[in-house]
Amino acid sequence: MDPHRRIQSQTSSTSTATPSKHAFETKVADVKSPKSDINALILDYLIMEGYPKAAEKFQKEANLKPRQEDPTINARQEIQHAIHVGNIQKAISDLNELDPGILDSDPQLHFSLLRLQLIELIRNARGYDPTAAIDFAQEKLAPRAASNEQFLKELEKTMALLIFPPDKLQPDLAALLHSDLRRNTAAQVNEAVLHRHMDRREAAIRQLVRMRAWAESTSRSKKRNLPDRIELGLSNGDDNVHEPMILS
Amino acid sequence: MTNPNPFPRRLSFITSANNGSRPVRSAGFSHLLNPSPDNGGQGNGAGSHAGAPFSSLDAGAAHSGNAPHGLDEGRGSHRMSDGSLPSFSRAFDLFTSKEPLLAGPNMAYSGVGPSASVSKNGFLTPSYLRGSGYLGKLAEQHKAKLVADRENFSSKRPSGTVFSGNTGNTESRSLTLPLKVTSGTHRGVALNLIERPPASAEFEDVVNPLPTRWNSDDKDYTVEVVGAGYEVKYTGTKLADHEAGAIRADNPMPTQCGVYYFEVMILNKKREENVISIGFETRKASLARFPGWEGESWGYHGNDGKIFQGTNAGRSYGPTYGAGDTVGCLMNFRTSQVLFTKNGDELGIAFKDPIFKDTTRNFYPAVGLKRPGDHIWVNFGQVPFQFDIDGYMKKQQKLVTDKIRTTDTAMLAPPLNDTELIQQLVLQFLQHDGYVGTARAFAEEIHMEKQALNMDADVPVEGVNIKNDEDANNRQQIRRAILEGDIDQALVYTNQFYPKVLEENGQVYFRLRCRKFIEMIRREAEMNRSLQEAGVKAKSTSQARHHPGNDTQRTYNQNPGGGEDEMMTEGEEEMMDTEEDGVEDHSLRTGNPEDETMAMSAAGVSELCHDALKYGQELRDEFKNDPSPEVTKHLNEIFALMAYPNPLEVKEVAHLLERKGRVAVAEELNSAILTSLGKSSRAALENLYAQTTVLLDDLRKDGGDGAFVSIQGVIDEIPKAQIK
Repeated sequence: MDPHRRIQSQTSSTSTATPSKHAFETKVADVKSPKSDINALILDYLIMEGYPKAAEKFQKEANLKPRQEDPTINARQEIQHAIHVGNIQKAISDLNELDPGILDSDPQLHFSLLRLQLIELIRNARGYDPTAAIDFAQEKLAPRAASNEQFLKELEKTMALLIFPPDKLQPDLAALLHSDLRRNTAAQVNEAVLHRHMDRREAAIRQLVRMRAWAESTSRSKKRNLPDRIELGLSNGDDNVHEPMILS
Repeated sequence: MTNPNPFPRRLSFITSANNGSRPVRSAGFSHLLNPSPDNGGQGNGAGSHAGAPFSSLDAGAAHSGNAPHGLDEGRGSHRMSDGSLPSFSRAFDLFTSKEPLLAGPNMAYSGVGPSASVSKNGFLTPSYLRGSGYLGKLAEQHKAKLVADRENFSSKRPSGTVFSGNTGNTESRSLTLPLKVTSGTHRGVALNLIERPPASAEFEDVVNPLPTRWNSDDKDYTVEVVGAGYEVKYTGTKLADHEAGAIRADNPMPTQCGVYYFEVMILNKKREENVISIGFETRKASLARFPGWEGESWGYHGNDGKIFQGTNAGRSYGPTYGAGDTVGCLMNFRTSQVLFTKNGDELGIAFKDPIFKDTTRNFYPAVGLKRPGDHIWVNFGQVPFQFDIDGYMKKQQKLVTDKIRTTDTAMLAPPLNDTELIQQLVLQFLQHDGYVGTARAFAEEIHMEKQALNMDADVPVEGVNIKNDEDANNRQQIRRAILEGDIDQALVYTNQFYPKVLEENGQVYFRLRCRKFIEMIRREAEMNRSLQEAGVKAKSTSQARHHPGNDTQRTYNQNPGGGEDEMMTEGEEEMMDTEEDGVEDHSLRTGNPEDETMAMSAAGVSELCHDALKYGQELRDEFKNDPSPEVTKHLNEIFALMAYPNPLEVKEVAHLLERKGRVAVAEELNSAILTSLGKSSRAALENLYAQTTVLLDDLRKDGGDGAFVSIQGVIDEIPKAQIK
């Protein structure tokens, strides 16, 4: 939202109520943010992260032609989805179908997936017979861990899940059961596929957002003249008054 | 400016005369063998090309002495995958051999050579700065200056003013750039010096231009600039021990580059010991001394390999250098360090001083000569360097991008994390700009994702909030209409849904009306084109033109614009005359059914033409009292389209007809509507983009980290999409 307007419409103001715009805000208002760039960032994001329906709609609505047809986008979405719901076996088989050599070329990725599969088996086995999980661990993971110290550590940690009840877990063990692990693993798999197919790992918009965060914290550490808080403007026009945060 | 291509023939002479090859240390020499004019030098595309240039090398272009084939788009330095060039390419001996050059000194160095890094407008884009934020900004300034010059010329106004309408403001902003361009001549060669604008608070964001030439107004009397400004010769007599003849470049090294580099080649014929100093200094340094010998200067001396900083007591540093050698000077503002190179090899750090980052000081590239026969040539980036400066730059960039890669974005919009933040930014933009279908599809896909990840069956997943946004729907309809070229429909919708907007936004209204005219011309042109392809000249078109032609001519002459209009009317007349002469009278009479359909289409075209003319006159009448020169200028531009039977084919005006113009108009209208609704005219993502630009500009000032990254660099990673 236009900060100028917001400040004007505030009656009981927070500490950021200054009558005039900060020099920084004025400069920002004068700078262009070309639609062509923004549209390119968005389309790139939708394609890279695997939102095929949205990508297709956007191409139509914004009149964009895709650079090359990306044959992997649907498969990537399905694989990520399989991981999100915990069906790692399907994810692995889909992945092998999409890109047969990928897991062989990336042992770390392969191990991460298998480890996640083990976790799902353990999760499903809660309270019941853990044999399936143990067999799986012995068959698929132990051989890989034998020659790799890091893998071994992770395997041991995972097996500990069998012993401790879920509500009494140490944070690092609890993290294994959290959905973030699924989300992150899915993202890693996606990145790996992208890297092999188009030599890029992530959507450009991610770099831009990180650049924004980095630029602000670097500027502040150099004591540049900036307003106390720089809003992106994500909150809707009519409501949320942000509590200004003190940034260190 | 200068003979653009002295290289090809002479190159072959040199290569046949030399033998043996030296390993080449730097890349990019294929530039010289495959010269190509840089496209306006706008600093895009820092990628490397491993394709065409090398195949032509392999095919022996270097040996045959033919004009270089495969004019490619020459961007960035040319490398093979391992960063080197084929060592068998004898052409490179030109630059690496220590043998005295067989041809005269003016031979290959009398100018820019293959103008690989200098655009037609004299805009210099050294390879290592391409894609940088600095060059981007400089290019913008350069463009603005050109526009200002053109406006000065055409409307005979005293000072340069530039109109820029950025943020959907309806008022046009006047930005007066006090840039002076002196077209002086030096030794009969015209040079364009762009003086730096005076530093004032208002213009603290202006970036300073690059050094481009030696400055013959800033030198000792014992040296002379030769040729196009890159060479210096010693022309004085013998000097006392401590004296020398120095000269400085036209501009100082800009800190916003982050890293600045130049190379000097010693062109002396004899291989005796000579005393030359290469370095940099402020303008306070004495021009009768070697750089480094006295205060305010730093230099690397060729006779003893020592470096000097402000005192005649030097420190040993590196090898000596002399005739045939190329010595480079690298200023790293980020680390406040200076190093030199010799024949492409990096020597150690020579100087380290925080003063280099001081933006109130200006350090000019400088050389000092002393003996008759001393003769040097400088490369300020107009041709590729011997040293792998691109690689050096990339390393510096990587240091910064590595830092960025590990940055956490949590502080931007707490409590959102990386992924959520981006999803929100994207979703909000889609809604903001009225991409209703996409927003919905995206929201659904996000929702599906959340549900999949939800492991606790008891906690329901909230639906993603897409207000069934009537407003977004309306705006989308309007956008659709414009993108399809149906301006009338768009106007109907706009007046229906947002009645006040056009009243309150005269500029947008004007642009819409103009766009309607353009669309009419476009339809006519397209039909014309398809008729022509079918082999019929629409004679009726020319007749139609002639008919109300008189009216338009009269209208043109009444136009108070002056010079520009007269030229146009003449041109238009010419067109009409030739058309009349050249047209064959096909068909309307043959009775052949094919011909008749053609004739009907021809009639169709002429009808369109009539309509366009009529509308054009309406438009002219409606806005004839508008005082804004921008309005008049734009009207003249689009009316000029009528002069061409096929404007789509004419490069100079075809851009006006491009579909991209629809997008621009759609955006303007959308912004105006949003503003009238009290919403921000920019979505958060756009704010983020603009904020990043401003933050980086600021971080770039003293050559800090901000100089090594740019938004353009991020955008360039995206494979190109096109607008249909």
